[in-house]
Amino acid sequence: MKNNLKVERAIHNITQEELAQKIFVSRQTINAIETNKYVPSTVLALKIGRAFGKPIDELFFLEDTD
Amino acid sequence: MKPNILFPNGFKLIGWILLVPSTIFGFLLMLSDIEEKFTVKSKVFALYNDEIFGKQSHWGLITTDITLTAVGVVFIVGALLVGFSREKKEDEFIAKLRLSSLMWAVWVNYILLLLAFIFIYGMGFLHVMIYNMFTVMLIFIGRFNFILFKNKMSAPNEK
Repeated sequence: MKNNLKVERAIHNITQEELAQKIFVSRQTINAIETNKYVPSTVLALKIGRAFGKPIDELFFLEDTD
Repeated sequence: MKPNILFPNGFKLIGWILLVPSTIFGFLLMLSDIEEKFTVKSKVFALYNDEIFGKQSHWGLITTDITLTAVGVVFIVGALLVGFSREKKEDEFIAKLRLSSLMWAVWVNYILLLLAFIFIYGMGFLHVMIYNMFTVMLIFIGRFNFILFKNKMSAPNEK
């Protein structure tokens, strides 16, 4: 799975830390998601969607290997 | 999601304070002959006691050297506190990392033990057994904290 959190953060001009605080996770978690080392749970994905005001399929994308 | 049972974050520091000295002292006991200088005789309660050239006894007080007992107890308590205390921000990624590190540690430990079974014999194997009592937790703690640290260091102030 891929995601465009980094781009989305740039658009909203917030840091990993600020996003992390918004959705009550650690900055490491945001970093791990952005570097494709961690696939968030549905709950967390929905929270990220809410933080950016976007549906989650505009933030996360399936790849051919999924 | 229901979190796993963990100690509060503050216990991790206490764990390190117990774990580091007991690990160093434990290695010293294993690798040198300082054991003879650190004999602490004490009366302890034993559920079961079976001396090498002595008699068996159970459910009673015995007098014995408690150096190893003390080092082992401090190590185990320290390792449990370090391994199973909450991080400052315990979330699902950290929880997953903790579990995967535990599985990784069991894998590595038993592959090493398997090799030791095949290639190490005699008194050497006795030493392997002693080390093996502690290695699962050491490998687990090492791997978990190494990845946490690596993750913390990558792109710290990135916009």
